[in-house]
Amino acid sequence: MSNNGRPLIELGDIEKIYRVGTELVRALRGVSLGIAENEYVAIMGPSGSGKSTLMNIVGCLDVPTSGTYSLRGQDVSRLSQSRLARIRGRQIGFVFQTFELLPRTTALKNVQLPLMYTQVPHKKQRAIAALTRVGLLDRAAHRPNQLSGGQKQRVAIARALAQEPDIILADEPTGNLDSQTGEEIMSIFDSLHADGQTIIVVTHEEDIAARCGRVIRLKDGLISSDVRTDKAMASRESFAAASPVLV
Amino acid sequence: MIRRLLGIPGRLWTGLIGGFARSWQNISTALVQIWANKGRSILTTLGIIIAVTSTITVVAFVKGFGDTMTKMVRGYGTKFMVVRPFRPGEDRRMGMGSVSLDLPDIEAVRTESPHIQRLTPFVFSEQMEIVYGLEKATDVPTRGVTEDYQVIRNYFVDAGRFFGPMEVQTSAQVIVLGRSVLKQLGCDESIIGQFVHVNGHRFQAVGVLEAKGSMFGEDQDKTVMIPYTAALNLLPDRRRWVFFLAEATSEAELDDAEGEIRRVLRRRHGLQPGQPDDFEIDRQDQNVREFEKIRNIASASLAGIVSISLLVGGIGIMNVMLVSVTERTREIGLRKSIGGRRRDILLQFLTEAVVLCTIGGLIGVVLGYILTIIASLHPQMVAIEVPLWSVALALGFSAGAGVVFGIIPACKAAILHPIEALRHE
Ligand SMILES: Nc1ncnc2c1ncn2[C@@H]1O[C@H](COP(=O)(O)OP(=O)(O)OP(=O)(O)O)[C@@H](O)[C@H]1O
Ligand SMILES: [Mg+2]
Repeated sequence: MSNNGRPLIELGDIEKIYRVGTELVRALRGVSLGIAENEYVAIMGPSGSGKSTLMNIVGCLDVPTSGTYSLRGQDVSRLSQSRLARIRGRQIGFVFQTFELLPRTTALKNVQLPLMYTQVPHKKQRAIAALTRVGLLDRAAHRPNQLSGGQKQRVAIARALAQEPDIILADEPTGNLDSQTGEEIMSIFDSLHADGQTIIVVTHEEDIAARCGRVIRLKDGLISSDVRTDKAMASRESFAAASPVLV
Repeated sequence: MIRRLLGIPGRLWTGLIGGFARSWQNISTALVQIWANKGRSILTTLGIIIAVTSTITVVAFVKGFGDTMTKMVRGYGTKFMVVRPFRPGEDRRMGMGSVSLDLPDIEAVRTESPHIQRLTPFVFSEQMEIVYGLEKATDVPTRGVTEDYQVIRNYFVDAGRFFGPMEVQTSAQVIVLGRSVLKQLGCDESIIGQFVHVNGHRFQAVGVLEAKGSMFGEDQDKTVMIPYTAALNLLPDRRRWVFFLAEATSEAELDDAEGEIRRVLRRRHGLQPGQPDDFEIDRQDQNVREFEKIRNIASASLAGIVSISLLVGGIGIMNVMLVSVTERTREIGLRKSIGGRRRDILLQFLTEAVVLCTIGGLIGVVLGYILTIIASLHPQMVAIEVPLWSVALALGFSAGAGVVFGIIPACKAAILHPIEALRHE
């Protein structure tokens, strides 16, 4: 369902300018980008290059200063706070570097949390399925302080999966984990992608980026390169639906 | 199926279910949060606890005393008036000047007032000495009345008999005694038929009055009754200074009866229009009304105290909720990033404030109950019981305080920008 051949995400000349006192910080200076269904994209770039800013806009947590953004064909760059919240709840799954699990709340309840804000049937079954997907069903009743860092991140991934989102956005998901655990987390993303999930990962590590079908590099708020690896070439379908703006 | 039966459109129906499920989730989140900060929560609800505890106890007390008083006053009967001579101006010593109220006056009232169904002269003295054998009771309140007094005052004998009309007419020296006087005389109901001396005069005991207990420390059973004619023989200087009790045909006709008494007495005393009455009419129903007024004032001042402590309590709640919002900024950011709208966050924190206040209210209710139970252990305490409406009111008001004082912190949480909230250190 590639939406009449249009990419899932279409960014057109996105600018984001922050005002700090009298100074203007141009975090994004005109980013155009298309991401198709079932792409597995890594975003890289030096610190301060605008990766998180871009993720926040793609994730509808923030709106661009100028430019257009259409998600599954819907223009979302000028929506109200409450419409944006609705989109975040239904179409976007976030995975944060710092996990952001609620303390004193079991893994299962944490996974169920996003479902509280949407009206879907069988919430508990969905949460259980999501926990099973990340291999943590046996820890369903555990609280975050009883889990390792890797397990916490897996619960966070399950939470993102619970709402069955169009895209999973992960901003440095392995940044707080050792390389071994980071590897585990990335293999979960690999398998989700294999099942058809669209994933965007911000990372500083080349070997993590190497697992992805496409690597976008940012520099000073601009895309400096956008490369598809062989892995992506193998997947003709997603290539065909790829960005018409940049190759 | 069910939704068809109830005729609720599908969307509204799922909305309702979602709403209930969400508010339950909000409540359980709030409980977890409150439990995690037990000490802090208790301290902040202290104001609410005090407000509710004092409401519950004071209402129970006011109601307890009030009911007892009302019952007492009603027990006296509310369709009668006490009429007594009264000298307008400073000098109102007994029997002085032209002011008087005598038996012919009373007879005139009896014959000329169609709205009076019973009437008794009332000659009262507190300085009677009663002797029985070797025992002696001094300063016994003594009432000289007719047999009608029993009915007017709802005050009967429960052993022996009351004196009858013949005995009143013939100034018979008969007496009925209260239980406490009997005790002082070292005797029981066997005194019936025996003779006692009242200020040296020989009276035959014919009955024993039913026990009335004590009211506000005053022993109501320390009293005796004799025919008013006999009383006037003992107290001859009272002949022109007689009180009387008059019972109206009904409570509704008290006004008519009072007017009739006033007219008869003014005419007989030769008072010109404009001259003040030389007698006083004391109506029981007015006493009841007077008392209700006092009760309302007490309730109003209670409301004042309660609203002040609710205010203080509410500000405490607001403070702790503001702290809670700041502490949980990241949580708020997360909730927004997974689809929580402003109104969801608002409702969550509002629920928390309301739950906190309601818990304080519940603790206050329990404390109030405990206090009233402890108080009612005291032997001289009147029957007190916490009225359910005060519990409902107290809980309602504490929940209301939660809404009023939770709204600012909840708004503060709701308007946070998701990214800034997630970046919060
Ligand atoms: N809220 C803000 N107010 C002002 N400036 C901001 C704000 N957020 C980001 N910036 C600025 O925008 C630029 C891009 O920031 P961003 O967080 O997107 O970088 P990043 O690529 O994610 O860096 P890192 O790898 O360190 O996370 C930076 O110069 C940063 O200082
Ligand atoms: Mg970043």
